[in-house]
Amino acid sequence: MSLRVDPGVTAEFSLYGGDTAVKCFNCGNCTAACSLTNQDSVFPRRYIRYIQMGLREKMLGSLDPWLCYYCGDCSDTCPREAQPGKLMMASRRWLISMYDWTGLSRLMYRNEWTELLMLGIIGLVVLALFTAPSNFGFQLLAAHPEARQTVDISKFAPKELVHWGDLTLASLLALLLLSNAARMFVFVRRHGPSAPMGAFVIEAREFVMQGLTQKRWRECGTDSTKHWLRHLLLVTGYGTMFALVVVFLYWFQVEDASFHWTSLLGYYSTVVLLGATLWIIRDRMKKVDQIHKHSDLADWLFPLLLFLTSLSGFALHLARLLDLPMATYILYTAHLMIAVPMLVVEVPFGKWSHLLYRPLALYLVAVQRRARGAEVIRSGSASPAPAA
Amino acid sequence: MTKIKSYYDGLVLGAGIAGMQAALDLAGQGFEVLLVDREPSIGGVMVGLNKVFPTLDCSSCICTPRMAEAAHSERIKLLTYTELIAARKQDQGFAVKLRKKPRYVVEEDCIGCSKCELACNYYTGHDFDCGLGARPAIYIPHGNAIPQVPVLDPDSCMFDGNCARVCPTNCIDFTQQAEEIEVTAGAIIVATGLKLSAMDAKKEYGGHEYPNVMNPLAMERVQSSNGPYGHILRPSDGKIPHSIAYVQCAGSRDKSIGVPYCSRVCCMYALKQAIMIRHQLHDAEVTIYHMDIRAFGKGYEQFYRRAVAEGVKVVKAKVARISEVENQDLNLRVELIDEGGRVADIRHDLVVLSLGTMPGWRPGGALPIEIDEDGFITIPEMATRPANSSVDGIFVAGVATGPKDIPDAIVEAGAAAMEAAMYLDRTRSHEAVPA
Repeated sequence: MSLRVDPGVTAEFSLYGGDTAVKCFNCGNCTAACSLTNQDSVFPRRYIRYIQMGLREKMLGSLDPWLCYYCGDCSDTCPREAQPGKLMMASRRWLISMYDWTGLSRLMYRNEWTELLMLGIIGLVVLALFTAPSNFGFQLLAAHPEARQTVDISKFAPKELVHWGDLTLASLLALLLLSNAARMFVFVRRHGPSAPMGAFVIEAREFVMQGLTQKRWRECGTDSTKHWLRHLLLVTGYGTMFALVVVFLYWFQVEDASFHWTSLLGYYSTVVLLGATLWIIRDRMKKVDQIHKHSDLADWLFPLLLFLTSLSGFALHLARLLDLPMATYILYTAHLMIAVPMLVVEVPFGKWSHLLYRPLALYLVAVQRRARGAEVIRSGSASPAPAA
Repeated sequence: MTKIKSYYDGLVLGAGIAGMQAALDLAGQGFEVLLVDREPSIGGVMVGLNKVFPTLDCSSCICTPRMAEAAHSERIKLLTYTELIAARKQDQGFAVKLRKKPRYVVEEDCIGCSKCELACNYYTGHDFDCGLGARPAIYIPHGNAIPQVPVLDPDSCMFDGNCARVCPTNCIDFTQQAEEIEVTAGAIIVATGLKLSAMDAKKEYGGHEYPNVMNPLAMERVQSSNGPYGHILRPSDGKIPHSIAYVQCAGSRDKSIGVPYCSRVCCMYALKQAIMIRHQLHDAEVTIYHMDIRAFGKGYEQFYRRAVAEGVKVVKAKVARISEVENQDLNLRVELIDEGGRVADIRHDLVVLSLGTMPGWRPGGALPIEIDEDGFITIPEMATRPANSSVDGIFVAGVATGPKDIPDAIVEAGAAAMEAAMYLDRTRSHEAVPA
């Protein structure tokens, strides 16, 4: 198979935060320093080599960047200070941009202000939805003066409409994300090793297991348990809230100032989300671990938006319990003005897309491993001898 | 009191191979030289080495004649155990202030009989053998030391007076004080040499932590016939090692420890030690893990090929981590780049860290010369005047200007002596020479 060399790759890659790729002199310290590398996965050096050589197709077909959780052991000991950990991060951004067919990821990662602009525009669209003349939002409220005396959300944002909106948005985002993931799958199939169908079925459990537990993170370098646990908490909080809003909105959106048991689940999410995002923001400010040493705008926006979403959600909850009607409606709008743009921008195009890409990558790696094992058995050749 | 003239044509700082050569070359041209070393013996690092590359000549057989020559030259005055406090330029050369540290032995009276050494009951790790052997609290630095005069180490001495009682010349003086010496020098040659980078600079290598991770100078001593064991043994249990690893660039070419430069000698000394191990232990496997082998000098590439032909394994891999496993063996985690990037944990029973070279002395405010960022002495015109510092009249030789091997250090010493001679001729022709 011939390989096409693209000399523009290093310059392009530096736009994604990978400017240190050119410093690497390929000693392999990073690969050996990594606690996750083994016979099947050898990174970061090999991927950095692809970048230096301009092997775009190899880069597209590789899953290696998704196997890294950025403990930073490699960056701590890199003799060239090429920051391999940061380069893996940049590779994930680059891959997200390549998977995304709309080109929005590319815009966002190459020019970080584009992300702010997109967030702003979508936020204004949400505001317009609530204020424009329609049977919804503040216009609906104008027709129901009693709802301005005491909280009645059904006169501001009727459940049926919100639920319908939720589902539409969720399906749209899922469609975008799935179509991008399909492209990832195609790239890997086209440029990576092939595998028989059977392997895809058998290894499906790897996808579910990693998606739910992210347990591979626990094997990653220094302080991995702390980072893994924090991430898992964040996922449970986020997952709970997602289920409440998208699936169980009929129970979760309480119309008046009364208390409902679903709020208990909401409290759990709120505590976890606020705590974890604050913890992350603090670590990013203090630059404690390698994973938090280099923060672009995109890295700040993610925990910040999640924090603001949780905070505004909780404020909305308080305003409703205290029976402050106007405050409740305004906070409701504000809450959605943060949450909706965050989801629309981050889930299919941004950092959050890793919720699908990472387990998918681990699944595909497992499939490839199984395929290689089958190949070895068929050809009768022994597997590479383990090291002495 | 040390007897010393008030004026010397040349002051040479450091009596390693470069300093001795510079002193001899200057004295050979008729100049009076004061040769100063901070250690109790002259000879520097080289006198402790086993062999030199690429000829495998005996190192001390080359070094000790130079030491004797310097000691016996009528125009060279040795001052050991002496440090420079400051040197300032004045109208006639340099006003130099030196500090002679107390040996607690009157040098002029001592006859080097070793009775004090034998009478001493208090032992500690031997500095000359990198701590592997033992030495008494009062000791002649090593068998080839010049002068053959003991030095008392007050940190390990219990002051029971045994040594003083047996001394036939009554030269042990527990009350000796440091002595300040002032002298004028026409020119100065700095040949302060090297120290190795720290064993624990890279924490992941376990230097100082695991007994079988060794310093390369300790390995030189272990290989030497006058070394601590007289045989190649590993430090933890005295077993003969069967599988020895050399970890290259353990203190050089590594920005993460602040040493970006190549130390130039590590590839060659590792190859040399590997060959010597194979000569002494015929069934031992020696593996050199390297980023690339830099065999740059005359006969060096051939030496590298010879090592490979003699069975030394040379593997392209940067060692990322060393961990101790059972039996105090060591696991080296590497990416085997030439085997398709396979990650491997490879077990050895002895590991030598190929440490880098760093400046052996930093002038601080003692000399008015410029220093590079990495601590080596600045040479403003590297290409054309490689021995001239930023101050006219102060010349530099050997590793003080940057990492280099023994032949290069000797060549540079000759150059520094020549430059100093020309400077002395230039400055003295117009003025009377002080007596």
